[in-house]
Amino acid sequence: MVCLMPVTVKVELFGIPRARAGVAQTISTGNDLGDILTDMASRFPQLAISCIQGRHLKPGFTANLSGHRFVTDPDTLLREGDSVLILSLDAGG
Amino acid sequence: MRREIPGYHGCYLRIDLTDGSSTSVPLGSQILRHYLGGSGLGVAILLHEQAAEVDPLSPPAPIAFVFSPLVGSPLTTSAKFAVVSKSPLTNRINDSLASSGFALAGKKTGYDAIVLVGQARQPSIVVIDDDQVRLESADDCWGLPNQETRDHLRTRFGQEFQTATIGQAGERRVRYATISHDGRHAGRGGSGAVLGSKNIKAIAVRGSRRPQWAEPTALVQFAKQLSEKSFGPATAKYRELGTASNLLTFNRLNVLPTRNFQEGSFAGATAISPEELSVARDRARASCAACTIGCEHLYSMKNGSGSVRLEYENLFAFGPLCGIDDPEIVLEASRRCDEWGLDTISAGGTIAFAMECVQRNLLDEPWLKFGDGQSLLKALDSIVSGQGLGPLLAEGSRRMAHHIGQESIAFAPQVKGLELPGYDPRGLQTMALGFAVGTRGADHNRSGAYEVDFSEAVDRKNVGPESAHLAVETEDKAALMDSLILCKFLRGVFTDFFAESAEILQLVTGWDVTASELRETARRIVTAKKRFNILAGWTPAEDTLPRRMLQKPASDDLRGHLSLERLNELISAYNQARGWSPEGWLLPSDMQSEIL
Repeated sequence: MVCLMPVTVKVELFGIPRARAGVAQTISTGNDLGDILTDMASRFPQLAISCIQGRHLKPGFTANLSGHRFVTDPDTLLREGDSVLILSLDAGG
Repeated sequence: MRREIPGYHGCYLRIDLTDGSSTSVPLGSQILRHYLGGSGLGVAILLHEQAAEVDPLSPPAPIAFVFSPLVGSPLTTSAKFAVVSKSPLTNRINDSLASSGFALAGKKTGYDAIVLVGQARQPSIVVIDDDQVRLESADDCWGLPNQETRDHLRTRFGQEFQTATIGQAGERRVRYATISHDGRHAGRGGSGAVLGSKNIKAIAVRGSRRPQWAEPTALVQFAKQLSEKSFGPATAKYRELGTASNLLTFNRLNVLPTRNFQEGSFAGATAISPEELSVARDRARASCAACTIGCEHLYSMKNGSGSVRLEYENLFAFGPLCGIDDPEIVLEASRRCDEWGLDTISAGGTIAFAMECVQRNLLDEPWLKFGDGQSLLKALDSIVSGQGLGPLLAEGSRRMAHHIGQESIAFAPQVKGLELPGYDPRGLQTMALGFAVGTRGADHNRSGAYEVDFSEAVDRKNVGPESAHLAVETEDKAALMDSLILCKFLRGVFTDFFAESAEILQLVTGWDVTASELRETARRIVTAKKRFNILAGWTPAEDTLPRRMLQKPASDDLRGHLSLERLNELISAYNQARGWSPEGWLLPSDMQSEIL
């Protein structure tokens, strides 16, 4: 069994997730994306209601790692210093 | 003799403005089933009218206002119409959509489309009152901005008439002039200039005819469920924040076009973001008729000029693209474009291009500078006044580049002459493909390929040919939405868009239509647009991007590089996914098939 050390990441929120959380960014700790979402849901109840279900984002929302790769798998491992962006899925307009 | 089909009237109204005559042209069930309405039916009518070969600003050029089978139904966001013509900006097909009461009243005149040909002898208003058609003088409103024209016509004709108008930009035949209805615009490609070239200031419509629906009770029930779903999370962004909330996201992802696409992020983005504007200004919401989303967000001006509707595209075009971080300037520029009837993307894109020409000493207009809000407003004024640099700016960035020469075409922000919207294709490379092959030019409404880039399906900064079929899928969805017509902001509400669209059409028309048939219909519509373009002179060389985009990455993001060779691979894969030749030519059978 591999025991991972939790890493600290910056969480940046955009659109509806930012409006619900009431902050533009914060710090979170965990091993993977699911950990971060769980932590965010516990700290920001309004964000949890609208955007997060367990270790997943609800439909209509997505996550991105450090401005590069879009990810949805809650088991996606994170590295120290990563940024996790949480944003509304739809663009357009 | 009318052949009524549920959801349709079975004919279009053809008005010859030269002599004021009008005729009803039958539309059989096959053409309607093949092209549906809106953009699809519009391009079919234009092919029938042989519009591809004519100068879009000459009297013979037709312009079609096209309704759809869903207009007037209880389905949310269905009160929409398409304006379809050959574009004076691109000389290719142009279909622009707008919403609200004009669609409802227009369809109630008893026609599925209204087609104008010819040229009125003097500035005129087309008045359609059920099947009575007349031209009236526009002497008392020629020269007025859009809202004043609308208010004037409301007084003149009464509240029951709905109007589509042009502002001063359309009168002057600015190649990216819009047609306005109730503060919204059929915005891209210059349909306002086409109407202006016909001496038509406005169309006023009133009617009393409603087509039947095949299954009215079930349709009402379906519409109720769709409305309920439209209040959910899939539309929350549009409802609560509006499209302008893209700004900070795009900035963070380095795909926010800045200073004429010289950079992909803008230091002043926060200052003009809706998050910031909402703190400092009053904000109101509005919606189109028959819409439960309500995506319009209006921000108050500090100069007392009232409120202005702010969308991502005008925010990007008058903000980062021109290097402007003053929200009052962005709002004022947007307000002027609304009033004068200018497409904000093309106006901002052309002015930003001119600013870079000045920066590079290719244009001797030292007053025009990135970051200088007053110079942006002065440039906009000149477009409509026809003074100074205005006549050149009124031509759009491609013609302007050809006039300036010195390789400036390499950084003119356009494809096929249509200025790029606010998505940097270097960092959104499936969207880059969508821009390159788009039949109306660089366009985010006919290709939703950015959705692919904002997913795990591809590496948005290094996409391969496997993304081509995903680009096709988004283009087909857009073609269907634009022909049914439903608002694209509803798309996240559907679980299986093609299947649910088939169910909607069954309830409205009684046809035994399936998801598979609608996929074929969407492809037929995209192919018809391509056919129009080939007849208008399209060649494979125009399916590309500005050279700047293919030579180096955006300066602040070295990973986003798309070479010409790789773009051409993507285009070839796209063409083959469509069943066309690798260069994009249609099969002979697609060029020769009967339209009407």
